[in-house]
This record gives sequence, C-alpha cells and structure tokens, in this order.
Amino acid sequence: MSAGQLRLCHRDDIPEGAARGFLPLPDAPRNVIVVNRGGQLHAYMDSCPHYRGGTPMAWRKDAYLDAEGAHIACHAHGALFDIETGACVSGPCLGRKLTRVPLSEAPDGSISVPAQVAGRAARES
Amino acid sequence: MRIIGPDYLVFGVDDLEGSKTYLEDFGLKPVQLDDTGWLYEALDGTGVIIRPKSDPSLPAPLETKNMLRQQVYGVEDASVLDEIEAEMSKDRRVTRLSDGSLEFKDDLGFELRFQVTIRRELSMPAEKINAPGAPAQRAPNELGVTDDMAALPRSLSHVVLFVPDMEKVVSFFCDRLGFVVTDVLTGAGPFLRPQANDDHHTHFFIRTPAYMQGCEHLAFHMGGPTELMVAGDRFVRKGYQSFWGPGRHKFGSNWFWYFNSPLGVHFEYDADMDKHDDTWVAREAPNGPEASQIFLLQWREKWAPSGGPEGGSGA
Repeated sequence: MSAGQLRLCHRDDIPEGAARGFLPLPDAPRNVIVVNRGGQLHAYMDSCPHYRGGTPMAWRKDAYLDAEGAHIACHAHGALFDIETGACVSGPCLGRKLTRVPLSEAPDGSISVPAQVAGRAARES
Repeated sequence: MRIIGPDYLVFGVDDLEGSKTYLEDFGLKPVQLDDTGWLYEALDGTGVIIRPKSDPSLPAPLETKNMLRQQVYGVEDASVLDEIEAEMSKDRRVTRLSDGSLEFKDDLGFELRFQVTIRRELSMPAEKINAPGAPAQRAPNELGVTDDMAALPRSLSHVVLFVPDMEKVVSFFCDRLGFVVTDVLTGAGPFLRPQANDDHHTHFFIRTPAYMQGCEHLAFHMGGPTELMVAGDRFVRKGYQSFWGPGRHKFGSNWFWYFNSPLGVHFEYDADMDKHDDTWVAREAPNGPEASQIFLLQWREKWAPSGGPEGGSGA
C-alpha cells in the first residue's frame, strides 16, 4: 500500500452484486461504500446528498442496495442512485450525485482509498 | 370531530423479509393478518402493516417511489365515522367497508381510512425520576435501570408527510377534519393534533417538491427518555443505522431518536411529548438546527475513564 492510502478490504471481501461499508479509520465520520458490479468495484462516500452535510444511507450494516440490488439506495427517504455513476435517478436528491471515491488495487488484491477520505463527511460535487 | 390519531400506517415494501426483521428488532410484535400481510404492533395495538408492494389488496401506490400506501386513523366511536362520511361525501367518493370503516383520498392523493379505534387502553407507569425538592417518584430500593429492563414502543405517536401543497393539506385536515395547528416551523411546515388527542402533534407536514410526496417518518411513544435511549442503544448494537439523535425537540418537547429503515422512511422512538388544550396559541420559529432541538447527542461505544497505558489500574 502506497503512502497516503488507507486499506479498506480485500477485493474478495465484496462478492459480485454486493455492497459493503468500511470506515477508512476507526474515528472517520463516514463509511466508504464499495459495490461490486460485474467484477468492477465502485466506491462512494456513505453520504446522501439530500441534506447539507450528507447523511448515512444504509438501514442496517452493509444494507446499501435496494431489494433488487439494481441501485444504491438511501434508506432515509428512498433515493436511488446509479451504481456506475453515483447519479440520483429517483427520490429527493434527483439531479445530484454521490461523492465518488477513487480506489487503488494492489497486486495482492488489497483495496485502498486516499487518506483524506477519512476526514471527509460532507458531500463534495 | 373526535379523531384520536393514527392506528396503523400501511406500507407496500420491496424487501419483505428485511422489513419483518427490522420491525421486530425495533420492538414491535408481529401479528400475521393473512397470507401476505403482517401487522407489527406496539403495546396498545397500534402499529405498522406491511405487504409486498405487488399485493393487490393494497391501496394504489403514490406516484413517487414512497412505500406508504394508506394511513389508518382511529376515532372515538361510530358517530364520528358518520360525521366524517357526511363531510367527505360532499366532494369525493367515500367507501363504507363492511366493518363500518371509511376509505377515501385526501386532497393530495394520500389514501386514508378511518375506523373506530383499535387502541387498547394501556395501564403502565411512566418513567419515574427522583429530584431534590420534589417527592420521590421511586420507592426506596426501587431501581431506575437494570440490564434487562423493558423498552418497547407503547403507541404509534405521529406521522410526518412530505407534501407538495401545504395550503391544500392543512386546509383539508383543519377545515374538514377538525385538526388544530399547535406550532409552525417556518420553511418546513406545521404540527397538527386532532380533537380527541392532547399530544402536541400526531402530524407534521414538510413542504417538498411533488416528486418527494410521501411519508418522511413515523414515531412511537416510549415510556420515557431512559427507555428511548435503551431501545435506541439496543437497536444500534443490532447493526441498525441511526439517522438523527438521540436528542430533544423544542416544539413538542419530545425526546427523539431516528433510524433509517428498509421501508424507505425513518422510524423514530419518541418520549415525553407536551400535551395541549384549545387555549394553546401556536408558536412559530424558522426551521433549522436551532429551532429543531434543545440539544443533540450521538451514540458511541461504551467507555469509562479507567485504566490505560499511562499506568491506571487497567482492570
């Protein structure tokens, strides 16, 4: 893992079609959500853009997707987000996007994020 | 009109199994109604009814993705239903069901049902506290907290709706159904209570664009702030996501703790809400963090100032 990166998990920790949330540091204000869609990993801040400052989206640990697994869902008010782009496609924050987090994958499959993600609570667009 | 408040809120859900687990873990008791429907009830019999969203026995969905399908209100007796039927029949279709209850839509398209309330009368003590200068509420040797203390929702308290047309909805509830406005958060909306309920609110409306119309949250009364925090702490420990709280609201004075849910609305534990009568004059304050709460706290893991690497006992 290079300097300035925080390890979240191993690629195999997120099965195809699943999502998981990881705190980049124990005292970080928000999880990073990692979704495996067709073998491709997408990551976003766990921060719904509906309200200023962003709010956490799961209803239970790692419950970030809608029932069909087709979208990332905010279980505060039912907003749905495109997994590939993070764009809200339905619900209160229509026209806004989740904050994407760049992932780095090491040769051993370790997944990490830039360290500044640990201090990031608010939506940045 | 002697309307008491919400008996049930009915949802058509995406994730039936997840919702069942959630509602039971929240502290509601499951009662299977038929092949596809479950009531999750509080101690007084009020609660939440869920069915799969494709269930044809559900009222039509809202045009938004909100999963709320119907609000079921309890009234004091059958004469109140006659009054409501007479008023509503002036300008809309009202269906009288075989059990005497009424179904119709409000002016924004929300599906409503009115019935003689199913609430069971509760006889349980409120949380008891001791303070200098006042008679002790707990007897000698009566403990305030125990690890296994009960902390279950007692009654469905209120529903909060996202509404695209505030004037329409307020006029409908106040002019047609006899609700009164108890307080107003300017920029968000008013709190309402019906005539046969002295709680500060059974309704709060929040003005939103039409694409958000639906239920924002629903709340259950707990026996007091300690029960509220014990229930919320247990819920967090089961892996559920806190959204806001614990804290204490200013308008209504009720303690609150909100959680995300698979029903796409927040579920709130509330406790110790103000009571009002018709002499009360509504207050108004601009909506925002200051007006919303007297204080706001956040859950953390249990911790105590003991031990540690600096040479404490570390026990």
